[in-house]
Amino acid sequence: MIDFGQALIFGLLIGGVYALMATGLTLTFGVMKIVNMAQGAFLITSTYLCFALWQHFGLDPVLAAFLVMLPMAALGLVVYKLVIERLERIDPGLTIVATFALALVAEAFLALLWGPDQRATDPAYSNKAFHLGQLVVPLAQFYACLLAVVLTVVLQVAIKRTWLGRAITAASENPEGARLVGIEPARVGAWLFAIATASTAFGGAALSFLYQFTPDTQDFWLGLTLSVVIVGGLGSVPGAFAAGVLLGVTESLTTTYLSVRWATAVPTLLILVVLTVRPQGLFTRMTRQDAGS
Amino acid sequence: MSLPLTGPAADVAASGYQGYELWAAQVNATGGLLGRKVQLNVLDDGFDPNQTGTDYTRLISQDKVDLLLGTFSSLLNAPASAIAARQRMLYIEPSGGTASLFTRGFTNLFFAQPGTTESLPDLFVQWFSSLPSEQRPKTAAYLTQDDPSASPAVEIFKAKLQALGVTKVYDQSYDPSTSNFDSIAASVVRTRPQMIIQGAVASDGAAFVRSLEKLDFNPEIFFQTNSPTDDTYPDRVGTRNTEGVFTSQAWSPTASYTGNADFVSAYTQMFGSPPTEDAANSYTAGQVLGAAVKAVGRIDQNALADWLHANAVDTIVGPLRWGPTGVPVGTGLLAQWQNGTLQVIAPKSSATSDTVVYPKPGWSN
Amino acid sequence: MTPLMPLGRAWIPIAVAALISYPLLSDDIYYQNMLIMTFVLAIGASGWNIMGGYAGYLSLGNSAFIGLGAYTTGILAAKAHISPFLGCLVGGLMCAVGAALLSLITRRTRGMYFVVVTFATLQLLGVVATIWSSLTGGSQGLAMPLPTWSLSYQDWPFYYSLLGLLVVTLAVSAWVRRSKLGLGLFAIQDNEDKAAGLGLRTAVYKMIAFVLSGTFLGIAGGIYAYYVTFLNTAAVFDIITSVLIVLAVLLGGRGTLWGPVLGAFIISPISDLTSTGFGGADAGAFRLLLFGGLLGTVAIFLPRGVLPVLESWLRRLLPRGSSSTPAKADPDQSRTAGSVSDGDRGSGNGGDQSPALRARGLRKSFGGLRAVDGVDLDLARGRITGLIGPNGSGKTTLFNLIDGTVPTRDGTITLGGLRLERAGRPVRAHAGLARTYQLPRLFANLTVVENVVVPERRLAFGRLWTTRVSSAERKRALAVLDDLGLAAYADQTPTGLSYGQRKLVELAQVLWLDPILVMLDEPAAGISPALSERLADLVRSLRERGVAILLVEHDLAFIASLCEQVYVMANGAIIATGSVAEISADRAVIDAYLGDPALPVPLGGQA
Repeated sequence: MIDFGQALIFGLLIGGVYALMATGLTLTFGVMKIVNMAQGAFLITSTYLCFALWQHFGLDPVLAAFLVMLPMAALGLVVYKLVIERLERIDPGLTIVATFALALVAEAFLALLWGPDQRATDPAYSNKAFHLGQLVVPLAQFYACLLAVVLTVVLQVAIKRTWLGRAITAASENPEGARLVGIEPARVGAWLFAIATASTAFGGAALSFLYQFTPDTQDFWLGLTLSVVIVGGLGSVPGAFAAGVLLGVTESLTTTYLSVRWATAVPTLLILVVLTVRPQGLFTRMTRQDAGS
Repeated sequence: MSLPLTGPAADVAASGYQGYELWAAQVNATGGLLGRKVQLNVLDDGFDPNQTGTDYTRLISQDKVDLLLGTFSSLLNAPASAIAARQRMLYIEPSGGTASLFTRGFTNLFFAQPGTTESLPDLFVQWFSSLPSEQRPKTAAYLTQDDPSASPAVEIFKAKLQALGVTKVYDQSYDPSTSNFDSIAASVVRTRPQMIIQGAVASDGAAFVRSLEKLDFNPEIFFQTNSPTDDTYPDRVGTRNTEGVFTSQAWSPTASYTGNADFVSAYTQMFGSPPTEDAANSYTAGQVLGAAVKAVGRIDQNALADWLHANAVDTIVGPLRWGPTGVPVGTGLLAQWQNGTLQVIAPKSSATSDTVVYPKPGWSN
Repeated sequence: MTPLMPLGRAWIPIAVAALISYPLLSDDIYYQNMLIMTFVLAIGASGWNIMGGYAGYLSLGNSAFIGLGAYTTGILAAKAHISPFLGCLVGGLMCAVGAALLSLITRRTRGMYFVVVTFATLQLLGVVATIWSSLTGGSQGLAMPLPTWSLSYQDWPFYYSLLGLLVVTLAVSAWVRRSKLGLGLFAIQDNEDKAAGLGLRTAVYKMIAFVLSGTFLGIAGGIYAYYVTFLNTAAVFDIITSVLIVLAVLLGGRGTLWGPVLGAFIISPISDLTSTGFGGADAGAFRLLLFGGLLGTVAIFLPRGVLPVLESWLRRLLPRGSSSTPAKADPDQSRTAGSVSDGDRGSGNGGDQSPALRARGLRKSFGGLRAVDGVDLDLARGRITGLIGPNGSGKTTLFNLIDGTVPTRDGTITLGGLRLERAGRPVRAHAGLARTYQLPRLFANLTVVENVVVPERRLAFGRLWTTRVSSAERKRALAVLDDLGLAAYADQTPTGLSYGQRKLVELAQVLWLDPILVMLDEPAAGISPALSERLADLVRSLRERGVAILLVEHDLAFIASLCEQVYVMANGAIIATGSVAEISADRAVIDAYLGDPALPVPLGGQA
């Protein structure tokens, strides 16, 4: 029973990490229905920026994240204006291709600036754990999980309660209508994308102390964050959090009870299952297909 | 040569390339090969075996290079060696020791390390069997990345140790992209193994150790392939935590083979940091090539291959000689971290320490 | 079809001849190698184009076909000692099956979800292939037999087999493009639901497109495996190859015939040059930069690709020889609207008095909202029936239930004796049901004539391969358009048409189906009185031919001038039925409209 409890704890924690990494993507995918293939690249860029601050100033990555938010927001704004706004009008498929291209370019720049070596930040808590009775709770994952919860709550409140959040939701569901009430979809879209990109700063910070990373690492996180968001579904930031936890727990239980070899295939399998059975995601309500009389 | 200068093996290729560069510079400083300067023509394949094939084809047919040198990883050397075989060119490769590379009947292929993965476990098993049987651990957990070199090596460990009466209590492999080892470590720990043998490849080794540290589980014997020779390893696991970890190496900076000390100082002077094993491997490949060309006196691929089959070459990893399919006769080194340094403990001729740390001390913070 | 055609005719044989003779003239194996890789990419790109350029389904997983073909060939060679040149055909077969399965998935997932599914499937295949190491060699890889022919033939067998395969792929792609299959695929790309509603068996069309897309690439994958001599799952099931394929198509021109090939011939050499042009430790980063930059630039600035841009330049430069001449209808064609239907359908339900449509107990809720709450309908042939009601009463939902856009478990629908409530949209169209939309939806990729001709009353497999618009069809379509005063627009795309003109074309589409029941959703809304009159004439002539018509309108004058009978809906239920005069005096009807500004005026003084 202890083993099950331990597997569950690990699953919950790693699920929280997944949710944290996917946060920006849940915003852009959930609210604006944009598939951003550069999410992994944004995360890794944040990671390297946090790493740079750690290396030169000894700044704890989580604190560094608050600073890194600013350049990331600027990056998000630029990407939105140059790329996404243009392409969403023509063909959403092109957005996928263009953001993927962006990810490659970002990886190239990171490789040029920092080289291919394995890096990591090493704050004191990164390889410690605390004990809950017989159960071990790794500290680093625990902090990442906390970050995930806080970030999700903050973003959810922002979407539902602030003017900007509601404006964005309105604009993505009905651009014409939004324009009629004075909301310019392009402007609020830009804001949202900037916020989403800025939020990757926290995921990036966590990445820096959880695992060793190279510019190449962005591939792995791209696939994973896509899984989280698709399983969680459209229009649901908390849903994506639940999806992340589901993924983490499934992976952990698979590792412990079934087969280690298949554990990393779990996210991919879940995508396929969810998309064939319930394409709109597990945690959304069905919306009416047609509107009007 | 074509090297994976980008992609997941980029850090390996970077220092490997430097090893080649050092060799070329040294050869040129003493008049070149056959009176001509050596020029390295290197292409990047991004760790894509298809690109490796294309690159080598280009080098052979377009650039019409005189000689080839191999690349890193069995994955890339596989297509490259086949192309070299078809074009009947000598192919000496520094790194990529999977047995299956040498079963295709290529007579022009040579491995520039003292042993392949076939012989990797030998020295360790020898030491293990030298322990009195009541002192030997009875249970072992086997964990490996699904990788062309690591998995076969662990399979051999399993077979040989089982023959010595060790019970297998855990046996799993994991995907190369695995980054989080907490769950895996927990399931290993649950079986309470006295020994852990891990087929690690790069950062997975350190990551697994960190998970073991968090769970506060310490096996009596711990063998890891590859990772313990990484220069980031002591930082990641904690310097004091390296104590007692076994690994195998092709090369040791402190081994007293001909030219080794010079190699270390020359490399450090040229590049500002001490050489890694990858750099040593490529330097060795260069040495082998150079020796063959000097001895034969002309660029004749078949003659060079014949000469290498018939002779031994003195290198920084010791005297190398090969079987008919290019498999080196011999084994690598058995090494162990002791007091913050990686020491060679076998074979006796290259040992830098005559003690072996057993059992492995516990983790400290 | 394009200004390049005359030039095209000339340079194709020249190019092919050049490619065939090249290896015989030069023994530079390097360029043979580059061309071999280019051929594989071109085959992949052309195949992808059928799925992504014609049908509009973007896939990031096409390198899976290469992988499947490669491994099938490799396994057959290693275990059964079958020559890879034969094994690759089996590989193609495996890919055909896989592609067919993939097309089935599209029933549930479209658009961006489809992209993700293909991405995930690719990864999953890679994982399965790696784990199933007893079959595939797993992470150890699979060694292929070495080529058995002498070195003096260099790589000719690979070169010529791939060149041949490329020619075949292009020929098939060209044929599809000019055929009815292609017409249907482009319609599906524009508006899949509408295409289904017009009777196109979209599932069949897509399956054929996907199978064509994957099979040739699978065969190429087998040959390619033989060529590289060593297979490894991670390298073969790789996302970058898929990306290269997509890049080639986008760069060259998605949806065109030659675009993908052009793109492949640009990208493959660049890929080669960059790996060799840059040297040193940073080479790889520069390569990534170049590729990512190229892909991004193409996607952002050249979304339609190089070929269409070239074509539009050429069009401006060349003298105007190919501008569209206004299509004239055949003067001795009868000018009555009775010439509209396709002769081989055997219409003639003039004397049939049985109800065209009988619907019982139709019901649909969305969440807690009852949009349609137990509706019964009887629509007679040769009758125009109106359906009115305040906004939100459920009229459009009712339409959607009847034509199958919205599925439901409750109630029955019988059309001309056939039970339809479980049938898909194409089947309902085949049974004789057609409908128009409030906002007219035409296929932007098709010309007006093609728009009219695309609906299908039944699926004839053989017909799929015939030319898009036969001369007989064209004659009939032009007659219809002439009736509607739209003959001048016949060979243009609908983008130049006004709103009212589009409605008329939509109606023409509906008529092409020779339906039993036509449902019109606010046909007169937003158009001029003159057009509205023409529309009314058309509707009357339909009635003459015995078609049942259901008409939703807010314009009561329009309803009054046409309908013998009217149903009134409110809150999802029918609250009254009868003639216009009867229902406008009905208490319940007036109550329902109270509070709704569209109060119908009693008909005392209406003409």
